[in-house]
Amino acid sequence: MRYGPSVLMRGVMGLATASFLIAQANAATLLREATIGEPPPLDVMLTTADVASVIGRHIFETLYALDSTYTPRPILAESDRTEDGSRTIVIKLREGVLFHNGKEMTAKDVVASMTRWGSFGARGKLLMAAATSVEATGKYEVTLKLSAPNGAWKALIADVNGGLAIYPEDIAAKAGNRPIEQKDYIGTGPYKFVEWRPNRYVEVERFEGYKPVKEKGDGFAGARVASFDKIRFIPVPDVGTRVSGVQAGDYDYAEMISGDLYESLSKDPSVQVQRTNAPIFGLFFMNSKQGILKDNYKLRRAIQTALDKSQALRVAFGPKDLWNAEGSIFPNGTPWYSTEGASNYSAHDPKKAKELAKEADYTGTPIRLLVSTNYQAHYDEASVFTRQLADAGINVQMMVVDWATLLKMRGQPEQWDIFVTHHSFAPDPLLLTFLNASYPGWWDSPEIGSLRAELINTTDPAARKSTWDKIQSLIYEQVPVMKVGDAYTYDIASPKLKGLNPNGPVFWNVSTK
Amino acid sequence: MSSNSVILWLKPFIARPIALAGLGVLLATVLAAIFAPWLSPYDPYAIDPLIRLTPPNVTHWFGTDQFGRDTLSRTIHSARMALLIGSGVVVFALATGVPAGVLSALFPRLGHLLMRMVDVLMAFPTLLLALGLIVILSPSVATVILAIGIGYMTTTTRIVYGLTLRLRAETYVEASRSMGAGAAWLISRHILPNLVSPLLVQASFVFAFAQLGAASLDFLGLGAPPDIPSWGNMLAESRTFVTRAPWLLFFPGMMIVATAFSLNLVGDALRDRLDPRFRQVFGEKG
Amino acid sequence: MWSYAFKRAGTTAVTLLAASIIIFAFIHIVPGDPIYVLLGDTATPDQIDALRHQLGLDQPIILQYLTWAGHVLEGDLGRSIFFQAPVLSVIADGAETSILLATMTMIWVAVIGVPIGMIAAVRHGTWLDQGLSGGAMLMASIPTFWVGLYLILIFAAWLGWFPSSGYPSIFEGGVVNLRYLVLPSLALAAPNAALILRLTRASMLDVSREDYVRTARAKGIRPWQVVRRHIWRNALLAVVSAFGFTFAALLSEAVVTETVFALPGIGRLVVQSILRRDYPVIQGVILVIVVVYLLINLIVDLSYRLLDPRVELQ
Repeated sequence: MRYGPSVLMRGVMGLATASFLIAQANAATLLREATIGEPPPLDVMLTTADVASVIGRHIFETLYALDSTYTPRPILAESDRTEDGSRTIVIKLREGVLFHNGKEMTAKDVVASMTRWGSFGARGKLLMAAATSVEATGKYEVTLKLSAPNGAWKALIADVNGGLAIYPEDIAAKAGNRPIEQKDYIGTGPYKFVEWRPNRYVEVERFEGYKPVKEKGDGFAGARVASFDKIRFIPVPDVGTRVSGVQAGDYDYAEMISGDLYESLSKDPSVQVQRTNAPIFGLFFMNSKQGILKDNYKLRRAIQTALDKSQALRVAFGPKDLWNAEGSIFPNGTPWYSTEGASNYSAHDPKKAKELAKEADYTGTPIRLLVSTNYQAHYDEASVFTRQLADAGINVQMMVVDWATLLKMRGQPEQWDIFVTHHSFAPDPLLLTFLNASYPGWWDSPEIGSLRAELINTTDPAARKSTWDKIQSLIYEQVPVMKVGDAYTYDIASPKLKGLNPNGPVFWNVSTK
Repeated sequence: MSSNSVILWLKPFIARPIALAGLGVLLATVLAAIFAPWLSPYDPYAIDPLIRLTPPNVTHWFGTDQFGRDTLSRTIHSARMALLIGSGVVVFALATGVPAGVLSALFPRLGHLLMRMVDVLMAFPTLLLALGLIVILSPSVATVILAIGIGYMTTTTRIVYGLTLRLRAETYVEASRSMGAGAAWLISRHILPNLVSPLLVQASFVFAFAQLGAASLDFLGLGAPPDIPSWGNMLAESRTFVTRAPWLLFFPGMMIVATAFSLNLVGDALRDRLDPRFRQVFGEKG
Repeated sequence: MWSYAFKRAGTTAVTLLAASIIIFAFIHIVPGDPIYVLLGDTATPDQIDALRHQLGLDQPIILQYLTWAGHVLEGDLGRSIFFQAPVLSVIADGAETSILLATMTMIWVAVIGVPIGMIAAVRHGTWLDQGLSGGAMLMASIPTFWVGLYLILIFAAWLGWFPSSGYPSIFEGGVVNLRYLVLPSLALAAPNAALILRLTRASMLDVSREDYVRTARAKGIRPWQVVRRHIWRNALLAVVSAFGFTFAALLSEAVVTETVFALPGIGRLVVQSILRRDYPVIQGVILVIVVVYLLINLIVDLSYRLLDPRVELQ
């Protein structure tokens, strides 16, 4: 057997280095973070998986980053200007920024990264579909030319999640659409990639060559100071185990704790509770391409009218502190908050729902609801809604599958009528998945088509907001998706940690002092 | 079955009070499953988020879960799933294992091939095989029965094969064979009647381990569809509440232990009653 | 003996071939594919097709099998789609945890199961025997994850005696890291010790019915002497082979315990890989498990022959 000797070799080498490592581990400060599971490859440009972004944010950086009010601020960029009626964007880069391989970041790296992101990046098309050219117009200057203005360009390149992370030119250029190799995890972030031990941890260590911006740290923006020598991201899929692990001191930080433990953990002196300030929201997508719900706006409204969303939120997220039955797609306090159409958000009126269903000539045909148990909240919400819809005479059949199957099935329009997912906080409407006509659900009615174009090509914030009001009103009329409500997830940490970031788990500017 | 043989079957239980208690628990489970709608104080699916996670009290004896559903009613209704999966696995294991084992023992050439196939299947890790099957066929009660049943199909085949070989070697069978008896006559007259008692033993062990297997699958989120009440699902849904609402873990867990334990006790009592020639074919795992 | 060994090795090889085909076919009829999980939520159909082509997943299944089998024969199990590392090293990493966990579990099983089983056999028919066998049966009826959850709650969260979860390699923190495996191995040991206990008891009782034991007894040798000299040695055979198979099963079947305790073992590796459709890893791990099982099977068979000449090998 071939694997025998290799196990042995690993053992011998391991023992040989063990004493060395122990000595080192004692001197170094280590932060142990319990993540919700093993990440996919950390090629953050390609993937929108949160597990990958949480780790990737420490390694890779973007030109801009979102501050605590979710406004983009320069990180790798220094300044920018637009010309030609906002169709040309000129970005001046910060000088002296080093990659983990010791080379300085220049315009060439940004151009190569932008090119790859435009072709293969998960969110690249949102901006780059309209790009006519990307050029280095100086050692530290990049010029992006668009065929039409894009009012959200800065927000679209301000996070690593499926976003424009800056890779070294050679890596970005040769990578294509295949996830980059581990040895190519080279970014400009305050931590650099060390190793990935499957099912054990991903380890990063402080990058000594990091040069922070001058501004004070604020959200993900501003100066980034790495005070831990090393961070280990440890996959701990069971939430109960994550909690007892932090309580017992085996982890310093644990993500995504279930809502029902919130009250008791808030009182527990062995942990501190860190609630996020950016809510996620559950989404029920309607099939706009095929099946009983296609163009059937009346039946969709009947479904929405039957629901009491707060019941689902209470079951899925627990105490009232952690959720908000909010009909506006964007939470109150953001510039995009809108009350348009929101009165239809959660009517809980089975009688009216029955009437609407009758008007839509609904005769009890089963409506197939595709949901996965990999996310407990999805399943909880679906269970509550199925029950409520049954009370309104609407026959919903849950199809419970695992997440990988759901991802595949939802791409096949003949397989489902409704599917359940959630959406993380978006700083701009253009980042909402359901405004993307090729995203499963395929909402592409003529009305949204013209409003979407208007939203992209307008640059004036006030004009964009009024376009958004019209879109939200249309969302409640055509019901391409139903928003469940805002949920504030929370993490727990050792009480020793100071400076935790409410934008999400990042560990620069976090210390034990 | 004559009254005489009923007494014969009950004998091991009378001698062993704990096995009798086990029989009692099983009987209670069967009754609970049959009369679940009348025994349950509430609709097991009724959702009431306002009273979610209530500890056991006068109106909800076993408390409520995270949907505000009555845990007692769900515990009672889960008996149905337990019996359904248990008997489904037993039926599957016997329906496949008995013909395969008997025929293999009687027809050596076929037997060689079949037992090789059993060897191949046995080399696969049972739980992983089950998980793979469930992902392929998407979770449903039938899938769970099939996934767990395949593991016991192989052990049952082996046991039946061993038993039949012994029976075939018995002189009287040998004698009737030499007198020109057909295989069908041999099977129906000599082999199957003698297999009844050992198979009853095997059935009770398979039933017991099917309970534990189903609970493991439920726990991994790959068992019976989660909207159907089952003890394993109840545990899986509530495992995050181990500190917040321990009763959610306690009652269904106790029911799994109680039924599996009772079945093991019954199987054990039956095995002791078996002809010692057959007993050693079983080993201990069932 | 040798010709038997060769024949046996031959059938093992055939079994392995059949198993490898089953593994491969099995895995590729699973719905869903790794691309979606890899690219996340917003991948476009073009991106998906392009990546599928690059990973060779758009080729005919027979061709994929032959390519894979060819590489396996050269000792190369391929590369994990997710970990971007050779499958062999991914397995080796998980094997450390699984082997240590299984070993520690078997130590508990040997220390608890065998002696108590012997006591029950010697005191056959007494209340002590009934109590011990009944207790064992109860232990075998408790779901391991249920035990595990309570072990974490009591010994990690409340008392703080042992770590709650995870397992940092002993190559990094030294042998003290074995304390991470104490609770999971206890949870796993409970049902397995119970089964070994009952097996020890049963096989000792079987042997004690043999003629030579009766003769020894009749000669007036003291009961414990009979046990030590005649029964124990012969009963050992069945127990040892059960140890072999239990160990093999623990390597792969500890999935639930590994999940509860967040251990980086083989079982969890497979389950995660199934859920993410990391085909090369699933194929590789199952193949290795099957090989290990067949080897143990072979060793047990041959050792029967060596240890007990009465066993007739066909």
